Parts: sequence; structure tokens; C-alpha cells
Amino acid sequence: MSGPTWKTYLFTYFGLLALLLANTLIAFVDLGWFSTAIEIGVATVMACLVAGILMHGLYEAKIIQIIIAGGVIWFLIMMSLTIGDYYTRGWLAFHHP
Amino acid sequence: MSDPVVLELREQFATVEQQRRTAGIGIWLFLMTEVMMFGGLFVAYTVYRFSHPQAFAEGSSHMDIVLGSINSAILLTSSLTMGLAEFSAKLGRQRLLSALLAITILIGLAFLGIKFTEYYEHFQQHEAPGVWFNHAGPHAPEVQMFFVFYFLMTGLHALHMSIGILLLLGLMGRNLIGSFSVVYHTPVSVVGLYWHFVDIVWIFLYAIFYLPGLHK
Repeated sequence: MSGPTWKTYLFTYFGLLALLLANTLIAFVDLGWFSTAIEIGVATVMACLVAGILMHGLYEAKIIQIIIAGGVIWFLIMMSLTIGDYYTRGWLAFHHP
Repeated sequence: MSDPVVLELREQFATVEQQRRTAGIGIWLFLMTEVMMFGGLFVAYTVYRFSHPQAFAEGSSHMDIVLGSINSAILLTSSLTMGLAEFSAKLGRQRLLSALLAITILIGLAFLGIKFTEYYEHFQQHEAPGVWFNHAGPHAPEVQMFFVFYFLMTGLHALHMSIGILLLLGLMGRNLIGSFSVVYHTPVSVVGLYWHFVDIVWIFLYAIFYLPGLHK
């Protein structure tokens, strides 16, 4: 049966813990809006590790990978259209971080 | 004795593999509707945070980073034990499966215990939104909005955790009466996917609620 081995699970787990620690430590440094980008970026990498390996997303059938991609892309469409709308109305405080 | 394969193959499926794959598609579709539900809240949070960055940083500085970080590590550990539980189910190691499910449940309860300790602290410090809220400073209404998102989103997450623990208890019960085998263990995989998904939601909740206050 294809899929991750228990060693892969363990390595993923320690990788996740390392990323969690890194994300927390980097957050102590003030980099302005770049800090937010790093926080969300590292969280996204962690989420991909969980979805890809612990949830077997990388090992699944094409139909399931399409469902995952569809869900994520649909969420990004919702997010970008909503924030784009608020931004173009000048309702968001991008100008003074 | 009846063959577990014949016993667990529902009549609408031709093979166990087809049944397993259908369950997989079903749970992933459900999880994508969860992405939409939590996603809507994340979008709302993002809009408010861009609108009131100082107030949200101020609200975030009231988070308990130690408890939050411990809880994150705890939840990641529960994902590992759940993953290993699925692995032992595949191998047909029933006693190991029961032990790992029990450990996952205990870790889940520890997470909820720490979460409610945090809620208690917020209530004590008048940070819970509503009539209890009391915050000095120019950004008080916006800081309250931060806590509205915090309680709503972490509360919804805690509800998912509670449902997950009940599902794990159900799995333990079914395992004890011998429902699972090397051939049939789909419910373990399905609940495992749900559990890992709830973990993913927390990874983002931790990043948006706990971390911004550290570099305020």
C-alpha cells in the first residue's frame, strides 16, 4: 500500500515543531507588514506539510487532489475579491501600517 | 464466522477499494466546505485587521503566548499520534490503535483544558467582548472587535475539537468490538483527516491571533 511510512510521519512532526518555533521566534522581531507575511507564509508551509503528508494529500488519487485544489483556489478567489473590493473603496488602512 | 470484508462492504459498492475511495472523496468535499466556513471568518478578520492594524496588534499583545505555543505543540503532537493510529489500523494492530486513539483523546482534552484556562484569564481581565469588556485607551471598540474574532474563531475551533474527541471515542468503541481490520479501517482514516484539518485551522489561528502582538 502506497503512502507515507511512520518515519515520514516522525520527520514531518519534528519539521512542524521546528517551523512553529521559528515562526514564534521571528515574530519577536518587528519587520512591519513583512512580519505578517512571514507569519502567514510559515503557517501556510506548515498547513501544506499536514495536508500533503499527514493527510496523504500527496499520495491521493487525482480526483481528491482536484477537490483540494478546487477548495483552496475558491477560497483564494473569495479572499482576493473581497479584499480587492474593500481596498479599492479606500476603506483599508494600507497607507499607515 | 462472517468475513469482515463481506460484512463491511455496503451493497451500493462493487469493491472495498471503491467504497474506501468514495469515503475519501466525501470527507475531502466536507473539509472543503469547512475551508469555506473558516475562510469567511479569516477574510472578515483580515479586512478588520487591515482597517485597524494598531488596535489588532494591541489586542494580540493580550494573548498568552506561552499557553498558545504549548497548545500549538500539543495539537501537532495529537496529529502525530492520530497519524500513527491510522498507520496501526492499516497494519491491523488493534491494541496499538486503541492506545494511540486514547493518547490522541487525552492530548485533545489537554488542548481544550489549556484553551479554557486562557478563556478564563480573558474573562478575569475583562477582555471578553460584551458587557464584561473593559479596555482603557483610544482603540477600545476596535480591540473589542479583535476579541470578538478571537472568541468566535477559537470557539468554533474548540467546538470542532470537541466533536473530534467524540468521534475518536466512537472509533475506540468500534475498535474494541472488533469492527476494524487490515481490510476495513476507513472510519479511522476519515476521522483522522478531520482531526488533521482541525490542526491546520489552529496553525492559522495561532499565526493571526498570538504572533502579531509579539512585535507590537
